[in-house]
Amino acid sequence: MFPTNTTGEHLGRRAFLKGALATAGGMAVANWGGLFNSQTIAQEAARQNKRCILLWANGGASQIDTFDMKPGRPTGGPFRPIQSNVNGIQVCEYLPLMARMTDKLAIIRSMRTQSPDHPDGIYHMHTCYKQNDRMPHPEIGAMIAKYLGNPEADLPSFVRMGSTGNAGSGYLGPRFEPFHIGQDGRLPYFSEPSVTPQVQERRTDLLNFMEREHAREHRAEAFESHRLAEQRALRLMRARQVFNTNEEWPRARDRYGNSTFGRGCFMARKLIEAGVPFVEVGQENYDSHADNFTVHKANMDVLDPAWSGLLQDLQERNLLANTLVVWMGEVGRTPYINNRAGRDHFIRAWTIVLAGGGVRGGQAYGSTDRDGREVVDNPVTEGDLFATIYTALGINPRVRHYVGARPIWATPEGSRPVRALLS
Amino acid sequence: MPGPRIFSLSVLMLVSSLTHAGDKPLRQVIDAEIKAGWQKEKVAPAARSSDSVFLRRVYLDLVGVIPSYDETTTFLKDADSQKRQKVIDKLLADPRYGPQQAHYWDLVLFGRRPQNIFDTRKHDSFTKWMAGEFVKNEPYDRIVKKMLSAEEEGSEMFYVQYRNAPEEAATAVARVFLGTQLQCARCHDHPFEHWTQKDFFGMAGFFVRLVVTDNGGPEGKRKFKIGEKSTGDVLFAASVKDLKPGQKGDPVKPKFLGGAELKEPEIPKGFKEPPLKGGVAPPKPSFSRKEKLAEWVVAKENPYFAKALANRIWSQFMGRGFVHPVDDLGSEQKVPSHPALLKAIAERLIEHKFDLKLAIREIVNSDAYQIGDTGPATEAMPTMYERARVRPLSVEELMPSLRVATAYDPAWMKNTGDYSEYFMRYFGEPNDGQGHFQGSLSEHLFLNNAPMIRQFAQPRKGNLADTLVTMKAPWEEKVERMFLSVLSRTPTAVERERFVKHLSGDAKIAPQLVEEAIWVLLSCSEFRFNR
Repeated sequence: MFPTNTTGEHLGRRAFLKGALATAGGMAVANWGGLFNSQTIAQEAARQNKRCILLWANGGASQIDTFDMKPGRPTGGPFRPIQSNVNGIQVCEYLPLMARMTDKLAIIRSMRTQSPDHPDGIYHMHTCYKQNDRMPHPEIGAMIAKYLGNPEADLPSFVRMGSTGNAGSGYLGPRFEPFHIGQDGRLPYFSEPSVTPQVQERRTDLLNFMEREHAREHRAEAFESHRLAEQRALRLMRARQVFNTNEEWPRARDRYGNSTFGRGCFMARKLIEAGVPFVEVGQENYDSHADNFTVHKANMDVLDPAWSGLLQDLQERNLLANTLVVWMGEVGRTPYINNRAGRDHFIRAWTIVLAGGGVRGGQAYGSTDRDGREVVDNPVTEGDLFATIYTALGINPRVRHYVGARPIWATPEGSRPVRALLS
Repeated sequence: MPGPRIFSLSVLMLVSSLTHAGDKPLRQVIDAEIKAGWQKEKVAPAARSSDSVFLRRVYLDLVGVIPSYDETTTFLKDADSQKRQKVIDKLLADPRYGPQQAHYWDLVLFGRRPQNIFDTRKHDSFTKWMAGEFVKNEPYDRIVKKMLSAEEEGSEMFYVQYRNAPEEAATAVARVFLGTQLQCARCHDHPFEHWTQKDFFGMAGFFVRLVVTDNGGPEGKRKFKIGEKSTGDVLFAASVKDLKPGQKGDPVKPKFLGGAELKEPEIPKGFKEPPLKGGVAPPKPSFSRKEKLAEWVVAKENPYFAKALANRIWSQFMGRGFVHPVDDLGSEQKVPSHPALLKAIAERLIEHKFDLKLAIREIVNSDAYQIGDTGPATEAMPTMYERARVRPLSVEELMPSLRVATAYDPAWMKNTGDYSEYFMRYFGEPNDGQGHFQGSLSEHLFLNNAPMIRQFAQPRKGNLADTLVTMKAPWEEKVERMFLSVLSRTPTAVERERFVKHLSGDAKIAPQLVEEAIWVLLSCSEFRFNR
């Protein structure tokens, strides 16, 4: 363990108080500020601890082979359901560990979405807006980074691993750009110091001197933003040991499973604990147009220990109550099994699973007909899902930003949080 | 942020009597109006810029790169009281002027993520065409007319962005050339303005018949042609819910924004569209809507065109438009910060037949443009122009500036390329969608650790670091040369002392210390911005 991550927050106490005070004064913390000027301190403080982890099933997982099984139906496939630890909810036999965690899960079986393919679906399910909207929408990670991140933290507020979103921070700007690392902690280009600590210190001293001199008579926020970004870069380089899990992984992998994705989930837990408000971990290869069942069995073998290990770990560390864990991909898969034993993309009726912070576990929300072809009740749109997630995290789902002269909301008009899912 | 102020009637009248003072040079009109604004709002303006600050600013604005060591020292030594005016004239005639203005307009018209990105990501032919127009100082109305007619090679790329997207073309033309935001009216009558969906689809009607033909070629050099059909209309239904299956709405006739419907001849009975093929010039339509639109957009009588340009060109050099955002003039909600001045500039543009160089010369010769960069205001673009605006260098400005600052020989890029993809990635879009600068983590990781940055600071035969290491001179002199080369100014006494202390710290590692000092000057916020 590293001394930096046992305190739960990777930021100084003074830094935290400074952020809170600036907000208490009712002023916007300039352009780079992640805080929200119209909120009270109490709400602010509550939000400080909210976190979110997105487990991304890249390619689109099959709902019928995981959480919305149709045993005995022509669409059902060969997998058998098993009883979970919640009465009346069954899950796939290849998710035995998750079956014991179902009391933590809010399973939405009634997703009805609009973007049927990969790039557009990935965009849509990361931003809750259509890709052809021609507006640079930010990903959910950037939005959460903006509202839950601490501007003075050492670590970036939006970290991701593996195959994930494709929209970036959009109109929220580079302050909230994703920081893409390897599941094993490999850092992006140019994160490793290129000079010795001695040189770094010497030139940083000189740079700080120049910036101080310049700041005397040059007060524009842009200069300050530049200076702060330099400080963040230096802090990140100093804090980069957090990303090194080589020593801890051999023990953690018993719980998370010996897989790249499992290691990513473990990294996500570490980062959440270190104060990062949003971490996304991608799991590859769900796009099973052929051999759906082989593909899904293999994926669940990886997913089951990783996901359940993550939830258990978060719970043991008292982090689950404040950490929302979302499992989803860009599409569901067809009830119909094609002639290559595959399932194709399906957006009319599919499943997404929420767990932890802010949601009420142990429930299946909405349902599909007996073959899984249509939603029978309580359809949920992309906007509704995002509104639910934002509400669970204490973010106003209708928070408004401007792009040029045009107002734009965090979720599309008509989106509503699903109250039944919230705790 | 203080919003635009509403001027009292008396001030408006005073101001308009000033602007009617006949042939008073525009620069004087500008200064009188800006000064009146300060008095009215009781803001204290910054002092006039120093020669160094002015020189760096005007170089970046007019030719897109900082001045070299020699250019800076020559200018600073020059005792001529007219030297600012002279350097402006020199830069307006500089071969880099055209490409720099084209670069500015490229960001306006395409941005970093143009639409139809597969065809338009690279559009060198357009920037080349644009630069040519600026070099020969083609009047702005003629440039726009050519762009909207899309017949000259290169000019067609503007429309290629809106391939099969007439609504997007309408939005862009209204926004960029007419300063009017129509996009809200696409899905509903505009909530705050008088624009209706009919206005929106009326404008889209001018573009619905455009066809982009692809004549092949490698990426960035692909040849496109813009053809136009003789038939086809925008279909519009007030309520999509009421449509029966197969119905797509009613055809909407093209209608000039805020004006009349287009009168067009009937299509002859039995007319058949000639086939459009790549590689062949598309046949002319029997009646060209795009021609009519191009004529109307640039017509002297068009109430939007000159005003939109006046606001745009002002914002280009002064940071904030009189109306902000720069392309939202059509709004009835927004009162310009200096209405009379906006009007005066627009009138002068018309009077001088949209001579861009003339207008730019007047603006950059004004005291308002040449104001200092210090003071208490924290906004990057102060509303009353009481301090110079602060904007980040674009990638296109940053890269040559790094080379000029460090005497980097362009021949060294021969084998490696200029790494522009890296620079674009790390410095490309440092703003939040509202034009506010946002420093990014990745930009600074790149600055700190990338060899592509380090190459500018390390000694290499003939470059700045090498000169400093090898020249026989006291450290004080070397520090002065370093500051003049990178920041276009001499160091202050404190800076000189601090840098001499750094550089003379350990003679054994002098080249390393020089590298560090140059890196600091390249990385500091003073270098990052045009101010």
